[in-house]
Amino acid sequence: MIRHLFKLIWNKKQTHALLIIEIWASFLVLFGLATLIFYNVRNYIQPLGFEYENVWAMSLNNNQDTIAIQEKVETIFAHVKGFPEVQSVSRMSDSYPFSQSNNSRTVKYNNVATQIGVVVADENLSKTIDIPLIKGKWYRNADSIGKYIPVVINRKAEALLFENQSAVGKILSDYDGKATWIVSGVIDHYKDKAEFMENKPFLFELLKSKDIWNKTLVIHVKPGTDAIFEAKLVKGISSIAKGWSTDIVYLTDARQKQHDMTLIPVLIFLIVCSFLLINVALGLFGILNLSIARRRGEIGLRRAMGATEKMVTAQFLGEIWVLSTFSVILGLILAVQFPLLNVFDVAAGIYGIAIVTATLIIFVIVTLCAWYPSSQASRIHPAIALHED
Amino acid sequence: MIKLQNVEKIYRTSSIETLALNNINLNVKKGEFVSIMGPSGCGKSTLLNIIGLLDAPSKGIIELDGQKVETYHDKAIAPLRNKMLGFIFQSFHLINDLSVIDNVEIPLLYRSTTARQRRELAEEALEKVGLSNRMKHFPKQLSGGQKQRVAIARAIVGKPEIILADEPTGNLDSAMGNEIINILQSLNENGATIVMVTHDDAMAKRTHRLIRLFDGTQVL
Ligand SMILES: Nc1ncnc2c1ncn2[C@@H]1O[C@H](COP(=O)(O)OP(=O)(O)OP(=O)(O)O)[C@@H](O)[C@H]1O
Ligand SMILES: [Mg+2]
Repeated sequence: MIRHLFKLIWNKKQTHALLIIEIWASFLVLFGLATLIFYNVRNYIQPLGFEYENVWAMSLNNNQDTIAIQEKVETIFAHVKGFPEVQSVSRMSDSYPFSQSNNSRTVKYNNVATQIGVVVADENLSKTIDIPLIKGKWYRNADSIGKYIPVVINRKAEALLFENQSAVGKILSDYDGKATWIVSGVIDHYKDKAEFMENKPFLFELLKSKDIWNKTLVIHVKPGTDAIFEAKLVKGISSIAKGWSTDIVYLTDARQKQHDMTLIPVLIFLIVCSFLLINVALGLFGILNLSIARRRGEIGLRRAMGATEKMVTAQFLGEIWVLSTFSVILGLILAVQFPLLNVFDVAAGIYGIAIVTATLIIFVIVTLCAWYPSSQASRIHPAIALHED
Repeated sequence: MIKLQNVEKIYRTSSIETLALNNINLNVKKGEFVSIMGPSGCGKSTLLNIIGLLDAPSKGIIELDGQKVETYHDKAIAPLRNKMLGFIFQSFHLINDLSVIDNVEIPLLYRSTTARQRRELAEEALEKVGLSNRMKHFPKQLSGGQKQRVAIARAIVGKPEIILADEPTGNLDSAMGNEIINILQSLNENGATIVMVTHDDAMAKRTHRLIRLFDGTQVL
């Protein structure tokens, strides 16, 4: 019977070309959609790695003021820390958690070079946003007197640079090969662009004591602290540093913004694809309905020759399955290029699940589209079907 | 071989009722070659369809090879159609997308056979109708007479005891028609029971017995 199906399909290849293209294109759309969804889901289920509730990020702006910046920042820091509402405060670069800004550098160890996200922060960051260490320790401000800048890296960076060795105590070089950093500790995750971000290599560098550029204060306030305190805080700062401005962001809001940035395009893509697929399914249903209806004579003949209704239905389903298999194989040839050529930075496993999912959905759609017309047509009376032809 | 008792067929549509067959009693013996004649619309095709189990009678009893047909349930009737009966139609009903040999194999798909057995049986059947040299052709590449010979090969490939032919020469000129009757006659001589509907007296004369229908009633 399979051989019979292949012959039937092969001898009608021109008629089927359009159908194959349609299924092929749907497969690719589904593959893309499934990849996108699985990629984001897999990222989402990985831990964030830090706390953001009741954390504010306050950017300090010295504007036209150029006098004694460092001292003013230190005074502000002490002022903020003094409030009973503040549990902990840390000073860092403007790429605070969930911020829109990014920094990265090439970091080398022996022959391995990799691009790593970099944040400059003082000793308080791990406490302020609660980043647990899994190896070594978080650097101290006092460590800045050493020859190398102390850093803390995440597990991903450790794995990339050191494979199975421990990173603690190792010296890292910059792009030019100059020994620059010393690893003081390793943390697990740090997804600073929120849950949907991929777990990427990351490095925290100790903020130098004379640094006047990195002036964002990350403040962990007590639960229930509100805008009244925020106003008090800002007022105090403007009296310490005349002409400076501040900008306070709640990390919960910044996180939401990051989510929106990821989810809105995904949602739009999902809606567009759904409409596309509904259209394809309707089109497929129409084509199959028509082509099966055109074969009433054949159905009557097969029934007269001893085929049962089920056999006729199975034949039509078999035909569409063979066509779909062919289309999916054509699609696969294209789809496997993504992991093979590493087109996007997505794990091969994600592509694998996406391929399986897209294939399953294709088969469900074609089965649903073919089942109704074929079971309907198989039920016609052979005498009548033969008479019509 | 074929026994009909008090068979009646009424076609009902929303507005009209047609009495297509009225109290038909028929007994065709094994090895007989019977022809059915009658004016258009008198119920010849209906009778053949009822004998061939393509249609259920409104009333009456049908027996094939001593077996009474009790139910017209799809699952019960399909194997009977497949094993006992071979059909030949006026308009051939070949599947255009299949080659001659694949068309001939169709009845064998619905019973347990291997691809090899199917091929052998189909080749054998095509040989009997003199089309061994046209196996890979497609129906569109054949003449009307050749198409009907393919249809005959398809009807006999499963070695049924009964062959039913509804105006098998209706679409053919007399030379080709003769050829078809010759084949049917030789099949009959080899033991097949044949019932054939025809409009042609000359054809009917070559059969053992003639049944005449008029307005759904048997008049001869
Ligand atoms: N499916 C049907 N529904 C309603 N009436 C039908 C149906 N099939 C046949 N009839 C009617 O039954 C009668 C007998 O039809 P049938 O096809 O058996 O005639 P026939 O003798 O084979 O005619 P012809 O020589 O033209 O082929 C006709 O009056 C026809 O209109
Ligand atoms: Mg007729």
